[in-house]
Amino acid sequence: MTDSVTDLFNMTKPEKEKYEDLVKELGVLGIEPPNICYQCSKCTSGCEAMKLLELEPHSIMASAKAGFIDEIMQSDLIWECIGCYKCKERCPQKMSPVELMYIIKNWSVSSGKQLPGDYPKILQGILSTGYIQNPLDVRDKKNNTWNRNSLGLPGLKRPIDQKKFTEAISKLATEGLGEI
Amino acid sequence: MKKLGLYLGCTIPTEQYGYEMSIREIMPEFDIELVDLENASCCGAPLKSVNLIMQMYLSARNIAICESKGLDMYAPCPQCHLSLTETKNRLRDSEKLREKIVKELMEYEGLEYKGDLNIYHTVDLFYDKIGLDVIKKKVKKPLEWNIACHYGCQTVRYSDAGRPDIAEHPSKMEEIIKVLGGETRDYSEKLNCCGAPLMITHKESALTKTGEKLKAIQDRNFDATAIVCPFGGRMLDSKQEKAGSTIGEKLDMPVFYLTQLIGLAMGKEKNKLGINLNLSSAKVLS
Repeated sequence: MTDSVTDLFNMTKPEKEKYEDLVKELGVLGIEPPNICYQCSKCTSGCEAMKLLELEPHSIMASAKAGFIDEIMQSDLIWECIGCYKCKERCPQKMSPVELMYIIKNWSVSSGKQLPGDYPKILQGILSTGYIQNPLDVRDKKNNTWNRNSLGLPGLKRPIDQKKFTEAISKLATEGLGEI
Repeated sequence: MKKLGLYLGCTIPTEQYGYEMSIREIMPEFDIELVDLENASCCGAPLKSVNLIMQMYLSARNIAICESKGLDMYAPCPQCHLSLTETKNRLRDSEKLREKIVKELMEYEGLEYKGDLNIYHTVDLFYDKIGLDVIKKKVKKPLEWNIACHYGCQTVRYSDAGRPDIAEHPSKMEEIIKVLGGETRDYSEKLNCCGAPLMITHKESALTKTGEKLKAIQDRNFDATAIVCPFGGRMLDSKQEKAGSTIGEKLDMPVFYLTQLIGLAMGKEKNKLGINLNLSSAKVLS
């Protein structure tokens, strides 16, 4: 972490402990810490979200490096990440803005912040049926309706013991990489 | 005949039926027997933002299920393929992570995780395992179109995870298209995202990305687009009309799964390849 800087816009002080937690969790995934970022902005120049939205991965890295973790966590910008992995692929320092944001989003979720968009539906689907959604009816160009059965496709395989499966996922939902 | 565990993930078997049908239709011809995996579930990829341990557990459980049959895996969805491959690597590299996940899998679901299997995607399965020579021998009706290849983000990134093709200049799909008789060439938007993941939180922006990608391909006078990702199918094909109205452009770009194109070149019946389900394919086939 860079030496104590205060963000004069909102008088935020760096959070040393949270920064260290972040470095530890990145380490579990085998990823370099943000302090070696030299702001070349290769991540942002390729960012698929930045082309349309406000996300600038190099700014996230700068905030992380300065220890303003809570600011990142409170920001909606991290939920704009598409997960295209161009930032990770192209980072000359082998860091990974995309995964740094995954970790901070995980923290945001475990801190009780409401999941945005369709995430609650996706999570609920996986918890209760093993998949993000049930097989849908689809239409062809002539407006005929089809499903797996009428297309001659076999039934979808699902967790055999749904109860145990749901138990496992629900338990892990309360855990973080930091405890590993 | 080589047996592979067919791991479809969520999106292919719940809506992108054309990809699944064409896979099931053509694989036996390449001497590959696909085995459906009882007990399978989501790979966890959509939950990376929610909880990474949950994501790794889900990927590891599907790997364990496939391994218990003594099979290598075929995962035609690039998002699943990355999640599974990445989890396999991470559990190999971190003793603590491995211990944790292995313990939970055994405790809750009695699954034994080893992480020794190979995981293939459509691109490397056809290009590296089956090979261009074998594909060429099966071609009965060479394709006559100029086809743009859309790889999808996670088919090629990130390199350290080991991907079906290289990150910045992939060409295996193009090589396959050429063997099928089609023409193809590079275009500068080739590596652009289709926008699919933004559908979860920013729908308008997602459709704008889809529209822009299709517009770029259309402006370069390609006859059709080949894809190897169910999210590409959902956005570039199923939502093409919506994407067009989002960006205020008339889009008319036929989109096919690579496996459908291989099937067409082999002379397979269109409906058996699920081509009637592609909402964008009218122009070139009529």
